[in-house]
Amino acid sequence: MRRRTRIARPSEGSPTVFLVLRRMRAPLIVLILIFGISVFGLTLIPGQDAEGHPVRMGFFDAFYFMSYTATTIGYGEIPHPFTGAQRLWVTATIYLTVIGWAYAIGSLLATLRDRAFRDAIALRRFTGTVRRLREPFLLVVGYGQTGQLLGHALDDLGRRMVVVDNTPEHVDTLDIDPYHSDIPGLVADGRNPHHLGVAGLEHPSCEGVVALTDDDEVNLIVAMTVALIRPGLPVIARTVSPAIEHRMHAFGSPTVVNPFDRYGDYLRIALHAPSSYLLSSWLVRGEGAEMPAPGRPPAAGRWVVCGFGRFGTKLVEDLSEDGLDVTVIDPSPPPVDERPAGVTVIEGDASEPSVLAGADLAGAAGFVAGTGNDATNLSLVAAARTANPSLFIGARQNRPANAPLFGAMEIDWLLVPSEMAAREIYARLSTPLLWRFLQEMPQLGDEWAVHTLAKMRAYCGMRLGPTWKVTLTDREAPGMRPWLHRGVRIGDLLRTPHDRTKRLDAVPLMLLRGDETVLGPDDDVTLSAGDQLLLVGRGKSRRALIETLTNRVVAEYVLTGREVPVGWIAQRVTGRIPTSAESAGRSSDDA
Amino acid sequence: MSLEKVIFGFFVLLAATLNFGFFIGDLSDPALHNEYELFAAVVVNLIATVLKFGDRTQIGAVHLATSLVADLQLIAATLTWVYATQISTAGMTPEATASVVSLSGGALLANLVSVALLVIETTTFHRR
Repeated sequence: MRRRTRIARPSEGSPTVFLVLRRMRAPLIVLILIFGISVFGLTLIPGQDAEGHPVRMGFFDAFYFMSYTATTIGYGEIPHPFTGAQRLWVTATIYLTVIGWAYAIGSLLATLRDRAFRDAIALRRFTGTVRRLREPFLLVVGYGQTGQLLGHALDDLGRRMVVVDNTPEHVDTLDIDPYHSDIPGLVADGRNPHHLGVAGLEHPSCEGVVALTDDDEVNLIVAMTVALIRPGLPVIARTVSPAIEHRMHAFGSPTVVNPFDRYGDYLRIALHAPSSYLLSSWLVRGEGAEMPAPGRPPAAGRWVVCGFGRFGTKLVEDLSEDGLDVTVIDPSPPPVDERPAGVTVIEGDASEPSVLAGADLAGAAGFVAGTGNDATNLSLVAAARTANPSLFIGARQNRPANAPLFGAMEIDWLLVPSEMAAREIYARLSTPLLWRFLQEMPQLGDEWAVHTLAKMRAYCGMRLGPTWKVTLTDREAPGMRPWLHRGVRIGDLLRTPHDRTKRLDAVPLMLLRGDETVLGPDDDVTLSAGDQLLLVGRGKSRRALIETLTNRVVAEYVLTGREVPVGWIAQRVTGRIPTSAESAGRSSDDA
Repeated sequence: MSLEKVIFGFFVLLAATLNFGFFIGDLSDPALHNEYELFAAVVVNLIATVLKFGDRTQIGAVHLATSLVADLQLIAATLTWVYATQISTAGMTPEATASVVSLSGGALLANLVSVALLVIETTTFHRR
């Protein structure tokens, strides 16, 4: 077995009270000195009693007097009215002690308001909260746009998270935005393994790490840290750089999400199979999503791509793999020998009309504004539309705040990297089976997708219902035990418990048996023990199916049509005893 | 030489010497134990305690602990003295004096440990 490295804690944070004490040293000493001098002076100065005899004040009386005078309570002159000399001294000490108190209290408040002190308190509270977590949780590093989109979606599913981000504003959104659960957040640098350790990397309930910072390097370091400290823990990391992606794969097997890469992949799917694309984009939007409008399918022909950075390179790769002619416009393209074959490169700034005219937009089918600047992309789209109104327009939106502008431009194919990454990670985390379905589905072609979409519309309407997984094991489907070993038709399983002639509003999307998948299984497919079935449908069909799976009496009716009383006595009296595993086996032998 | 170390050493030693000064002499004779010396010992001990606040090292923690013990003993001695002079009708009897002085004797022991720690610290960290 591999030895597991542990993150050594740099001295389990000393109690914050020591920090306060250290800061309070000077004010407390000043206060003690002032008190000591005042009391001492008061005992030295001679006073008078009522008869005029000289008396000296005792230490106890002096301390008592100074205590109430210094705290500005003031009970008067005791035990005898003071002499002039005593009053002179007391006047001086009043000012001294008030200053001393003000200094001490001021320092204490300043310490409590101090940033270092509050950070220390926050860190302690965070460490305690994380340590007390007993449910499985995800460690999310980087809580910017993508992180927040993903966080809200996962929170709606009831998943727990711990957040680490180096920007205080991002962590503050955890307190401001509405969440169902309390999400602990820490302002810290994800590059530091200790911070990840504090955030629960070594916690037994940590079920995965998601690295979503803007900085690819940080995501790489997070993926490396997890692979070294907790090998085998699932990691999902976002990056836009192929080089970083390559380096991430060197450590363990992280799931790398590259939104720039995906854009081209989806564009290709949409080019060949618009319905497949429609189906997958509907499913990744999650429960409650309206069916997206079909939009314009991208056209085959010559494509013009502005910007040949990380995004442009990936897109051009995908387009030319499809055999499309591509014209690239970039102010500083790579040297001639590094350019991909079959791609025409125009050197120059695309926002200059003369350069854009050189790309012959009138003869092109598609246009993609893919620079890193939103203003440039918008003006490029406008210019391209003027040159050729029938162009298929794609664009990259870099800043979330510009969403209304891109919306108003009615772009045919918009890339918002943060949203794309969040959706993809959500699909992977919420239902891993759904992700597998989405990966394998495009291979079945457009016809199949049209058919499935029609079925989904018929059963769910235009609003997507929940997507869920059913595992046919004794543990998760105890009601099915008597029938599972000889197989159950999907069509029989998906009947309503109230009236078995009616079918449940659910569409089976995929059947997973061992490691083999059957996409869109028919009603005639037979299920056996251990199978996993991915379904999409309505919430009430999901509850009905759970009833069928867990209640033997319901299962008996749904599968065979035989009605059996619920109670044991009623079953014995009427002689209608539910099928057990043995009797089901015997009847199958008889048959 | 750092000023901080001088001040620290000064107060720790002064706390011990004042304490010793008050303690020395016949245990039950009030004339041999000056109340001003007890007062000074309390004030200097409190200052020495505050000076030891917030040191996170092991030796710092023991330092603080000894000082807290000394404070506790001296404050107990002071309270006994207040009781004898202000509340009890008998005044400073030999018995009362003996209990005040013996309590301060306990504080003296703690202060001596403090001084010993100071010496140990000095010899082990002389390179710094």
